[in-house]
Amino acid sequence: MKKILLLTLVLFGALLLSACGGTVRGTTWPGLAADETTAYLADLSHVYGINIQDGAEVWRFSDPNDNKAQFYATPVLTSDGLVIVGSAGSKHILYALDPHDLITNGDFKNPAVKWTFTGAGGAWVAAPLIVEDKLFAPNADGNLYVLDLSDGQSQKQPIATIELGGRLWAQPVTDGERIYVTSLDHRVHAVNLADYAIAWQADIAAAIPGAPALGPDGRLYVGSLASKLEQFDPETGAHQSVLDAQYWLWSTPVFDGDTLYFGDLKGNFYSFDAANNKLNWSIQPDGAITANAILQNDHLLLATESGNLYAIGKDGKTLWFEAVGGKIYTTPVVAGDLILVAPLETDFYLAALDSNGRQVWTFPPKK
Amino acid sequence: MWNLFVSLFINILLWIYNIIGQNFGVAIILFTILIRIVTWPLNAQQMKGAKAMQDLQNDKEWQAIQKKYAKDREKLAQEQMRIYRERGINPFGSCLPTLIQFPILIALYQSIIRALAATPLDLLKLSQSINPNFLDVANLIPLNSKFLWMNLGQPEPYYILAIIVAATTYIQSKLTLPPATNPNDQSAAMGQSMAITMPLMLGWFALTFPSGLSVYFITSNLLGIIQYAAQGKANWSNLLPKSMRKE
Repeated sequence: MKKILLLTLVLFGALLLSACGGTVRGTTWPGLAADETTAYLADLSHVYGINIQDGAEVWRFSDPNDNKAQFYATPVLTSDGLVIVGSAGSKHILYALDPHDLITNGDFKNPAVKWTFTGAGGAWVAAPLIVEDKLFAPNADGNLYVLDLSDGQSQKQPIATIELGGRLWAQPVTDGERIYVTSLDHRVHAVNLADYAIAWQADIAAAIPGAPALGPDGRLYVGSLASKLEQFDPETGAHQSVLDAQYWLWSTPVFDGDTLYFGDLKGNFYSFDAANNKLNWSIQPDGAITANAILQNDHLLLATESGNLYAIGKDGKTLWFEAVGGKIYTTPVVAGDLILVAPLETDFYLAALDSNGRQVWTFPPKK
Repeated sequence: MWNLFVSLFINILLWIYNIIGQNFGVAIILFTILIRIVTWPLNAQQMKGAKAMQDLQNDKEWQAIQKKYAKDREKLAQEQMRIYRERGINPFGSCLPTLIQFPILIALYQSIIRALAATPLDLLKLSQSINPNFLDVANLIPLNSKFLWMNLGQPEPYYILAIIVAATTYIQSKLTLPPATNPNDQSAAMGQSMAITMPLMLGWFALTFPSGLSVYFITSNLLGIIQYAAQGKANWSNLLPKSMRKE
């Protein structure tokens, strides 16, 4: 009796341990991008191409070289129609997929792989940035890899590897002269586009999981886990804290003229006047905010961890909200008349809402 | 409730990590020592329970009822319960402390994963687990996951830890096994079986799960061995081949 009890509990313990974190599919939230016709969803072991008219799957891609691979970096689209997406897993491969060259594989269609880059040492969490014919790809190994998109190579070799250090989790931004990269090791880096030399590095004494934002005034804004919004001079890297938020800042500020909108992990949503460095207002809809707000005409769209999508006026008043379900950490994407939302902990991987927040379709992938 | 438990672990782990100079491996070792101190009474109870069950196997009255009611399992169970009651023995007293290790193990696993924050979701969960008034975690993140040759957030690739985990688990199990004097002793047979099963299972855990968990296993096993030895209860002869043992 005791033996059976012990063995059962040992097995139960093993099962529990194996299933830890199993409340969420995958290991983190998905990456989402879209163009006029297709939504691109990097979720768990697949990248999906989904028709935005009806939510039907057009194609899917899984890593043929790594059965442990997961995709959660936001896919990036090139001007010639390729979808660039990196994997996390054991091999960390960056793929360029061609959705115009589909191969039928049983019930599914798979895009052809046009090129790969296999030289990274860490997971691909951040979306890369395309500047003309160069791809700037930040990796969790601390390197910013520069790839030439026009060299015709199927096995890419970086034309430059810029060692920045720390874990690079956020998509860089550029003002045409420099590229700005944030790091979990507390630093903001500026790299010259002309020669890939590091122009400056600044330590703000707190991890920076989100991407930087460039304001219309040319200044750089970065939120950090010190709950501060930092303002940078892009020329020199001189910086100052311009706002003490209520809690950790993750989402990237969105600009509307001189006004920035961003949220924190306690669920506060801020409107900040960058011209006068003063807070206009803050509200607390519900749930942590990791997703960026989206500026749409006269209002903002905001997704929260509670699974709700809010339309918020520029005065901070809620115009409408829709309970999408699950937990939303991924920044929604506006594609045509639709708002695409990729929640976790739901039966579906993607939902499309109309401009009033009504659900149009959902996408549960076929097994 | 469970999240509160995991959060408590994370806060203590990070607090230790902070005060010892930001070494997560050493923080896990010190945290394990803390857990062993807190669960010391349970371990002592386990040893006491195991000893009581062992003594019972050699008890004449116990052996007599085994023979007498060999074909009447219901009556045998009633008589066994009577003896347990009369002598103040909890038949599960030696199992319960072992079982308490499981929630600790699972909470520690989740704490390590969350604290090392290898993915954005882990970092988000960490933000929801820590008390910012207690710790300036924003300044601590990202945690230094390197310890000796290992990345504590990843399984150890060279099988070294898995072997050490299995070996120390085996040694600990063997040291705590009392000598079997009765060939029909069921608890001794179970102990022998567990002495094989547990090292294999924990070795497999060490191969599969982050190496931080293996650091916990090894520290915990070594402390267990020291605890038994310090109390003079370690049965070192069990480590020798049968032919070399003095019976």
